Amino acid sequence: MGQSQMFAKTTILVVEDEPLLRMMAVDLVEDAGFEAVEAANADEAIKILECRSDIRVIFTDIDMPGSMDGLLLAAAVRDRWPPIKIILTSGHVHVSEVEMPVDGKFFSKPYDHAQVTRTLQAMAGASH
Amino acid sequence: MTSERDDTRRLEALAVYDIMDTPPEPEFDDVVLLASEICQTPVSLVSLVETERQWFKARIGFDLPETPISQSVCSHALQSPDLLIIPDLTIDPRTSENTLVTQPPHIRFYAGAPLISPDGVTIGTLCVIDTEPRPQGLSLTQKRSLSALARQVVALLEMRRNSSRKDDLFRRQKRISSEVRAIAASSIAAQEAGGIGTFDIDLTTGTMKISAEGCRIFRLPVQDEYPANIIYDFILPEDRHLPSADSSRTDGTASLEASYRIRTPDEGIRWISRRAAFHRDAEGRAVRMVGTLQDVTEQRNAQARMQALIRLGDALRDTVDVQQAAFDAAELMAQALGATRAGFGMVDAEAETVMMHRDWRAPGVATLEGLHHFRDYGSFIEDLLRGETVLIGDVTTDRRTRDHFQSLLDIGIRVLVNVPIFDKGRFNLVVFVHYDQPHTWRREEIDFVRSVGDRLQAAIGRVFAEEDQDILNRELSHRLKNTLSVVQAIATQTLKTIGDRGPIESFEKRLQALSSAHDVLIHQNWTGASIRHLVSDTLDRLGMLERSELSGPNIFLGPKATQSVMLLLHELATNAVKYGGLSNGTGQVTARWEISGPAENTQLTFTWQETGGPPVVEPERRGFGSRLIRMGLLGTGGVDIRYEPPGIMVIMRASLSHLQEAG
Repeated sequence: MGQSQMFAKTTILVVEDEPLLRMMAVDLVEDAGFEAVEAANADEAIKILECRSDIRVIFTDIDMPGSMDGLLLAAAVRDRWPPIKIILTSGHVHVSEVEMPVDGKFFSKPYDHAQVTRTLQAMAGASH
Repeated sequence: MTSERDDTRRLEALAVYDIMDTPPEPEFDDVVLLASEICQTPVSLVSLVETERQWFKARIGFDLPETPISQSVCSHALQSPDLLIIPDLTIDPRTSENTLVTQPPHIRFYAGAPLISPDGVTIGTLCVIDTEPRPQGLSLTQKRSLSALARQVVALLEMRRNSSRKDDLFRRQKRISSEVRAIAASSIAAQEAGGIGTFDIDLTTGTMKISAEGCRIFRLPVQDEYPANIIYDFILPEDRHLPSADSSRTDGTASLEASYRIRTPDEGIRWISRRAAFHRDAEGRAVRMVGTLQDVTEQRNAQARMQALIRLGDALRDTVDVQQAAFDAAELMAQALGATRAGFGMVDAEAETVMMHRDWRAPGVATLEGLHHFRDYGSFIEDLLRGETVLIGDVTTDRRTRDHFQSLLDIGIRVLVNVPIFDKGRFNLVVFVHYDQPHTWRREEIDFVRSVGDRLQAAIGRVFAEEDQDILNRELSHRLKNTLSVVQAIATQTLKTIGDRGPIESFEKRLQALSSAHDVLIHQNWTGASIRHLVSDTLDRLGMLERSELSGPNIFLGPKATQSVMLLLHELATNAVKYGGLSNGTGQVTARWEISGPAENTQLTFTWQETGGPPVVEPERRGFGSRLIRMGLLGTGGVDIRYEPPGIMVIMRASLSHLQEAG
């Protein structure tokens, strides 16, 4: 974390339609020492990605309303912004049902904050 | 008599079926009707046995709706998985004092097939009773039929219980039963109506005198005499060895009873049964062969249809596969009706297409697998969409197909049966039977086709309902996990200002333990989870599975215990990680479980032993975790905790049957 305080903080995009869960995820990201940008759905997330180049990791829910769910968003990110790392979360039981993007990580809801924090730090660290 | 444990299981099973003291239902009435017809007894009962009485769900030839257990013969049939047959009740020590035997109605003969639920509990019997003793008991066919009908009773009970669409089912079962009744009635009518012809062959001349009815049976112009061998022209080549020939008649070796098939111009293939006797001269040489002829086609067909319905009931009872059920029904129907092709297809009602699957075919008939448009073959889809079974006796003349008959003849369809199956009001599956030659439908064949269709619809309806339930389970699970996440978020936000993160982290981890228990359960379809699975899941979540040793038999806990035991294990494991055997780099945990005690009161003992950790100290303060541990596996104690070297040891005991309860 020391390095990121010297320079601009690494930015993580949080995508979650449920406001309370989004709030919690943003806190988690900030507590882990990163800057959080929020989006309430996949379309908003794409708009943000199109006008910012500092996003390193996207932390998204899978089950969201709108034209794209989290899996389609992950596929779009993998296609258009390959360096961005992806973390997916869902209340669905079987991880096998979720087609994981390359280098992606999956956490079943409710997730363990400590584990997600460690994963974020590993991903953000590796992208520097 | 029965043990108390058997009584309890039987009463529980009866309670689950919710059947006692319900009004008569026609489908059960039909079973006793069939049983008494088949076994030729005046009385047949579906008897359900409680501790103090037996009550009859269906009865024929018996006035009382129930009797005290002291008068029950059926209660003697409960211990055995086989038929109980008592040829003479006055002789058998179990029944000789029974007041139904010693006083009116003076019953004498009893045969009962046990009604065994899928869980193996015998809840009563399907029995037949006669007022005459029967030293020979029942024939093999009667025994088999009685057992098959007993299975049907259980299938009916299961269906009655399983279907969440009971009203729909009830309506349908009423229709099925009227059809079954029609089939039974028609089979009896056929036996009575079949005309009997007579013949008398002079073996020296080879001429045959034959009665008018005999001529009609062979479709011969009525006249008094024919050459005896004329009938060979009508007999199917493969059956020609069955009737008598000149040689076997003359030497008197022809068999006295024979059945064979003949081909007729107007009614296709018919079954003929012939019985004969030889008249011999003074030297014992056969000189005349005299006998009777009967067209038994209807009896044979009625029997085939009844057998098909019974086999269908067996095939559909436990089915979970819609396509297999549809194929089985099609195949049984085709064989009972002597058709040339049968199968099923999945329907797209909007596109008016059907995707035909694997079909059953007579030799030399081509498959119809693949996509077909209903409208290419006529307008009968309109009847199917209304839920009506389509029966077309001749596609060249029926108004629904006559404009398209060539396309049907091209694929070997002269006669067409289509049975529509619906799911939630949508036409989505069709079962078909085809003949490549014209066929005149008999009333009882039509009843049979409708009955198969209704049974299939009921069974498939049940499968669809179970599939819906599965989807609903997953959806509920998903919602619950989202709700747990929101609870987690609220707690995180609410407790944000508290400096000490310890409590909120403990809370979060407990929430995850609860959520994991839920995962395990949903994965097992809410039937429960194995102890090993719960222990290894808990240690794995903490990354400590490598440092633990698990041993014990494969035991499943019920859904309720699964949840509480998972939380308990979580507390044991987190304590070990914080203070105990797993708090340093080297310690270990051993979890052992075993069962002991008699069958009706089996105890589970679960032992958690930590080793290699720091010196053990009994905690001064009792937090949520240690309180939860002290409550034990069922929340009612039975816990022994030892804070002694080489590490903390927790021994928990509980009744296995309580741990396995579903509630």
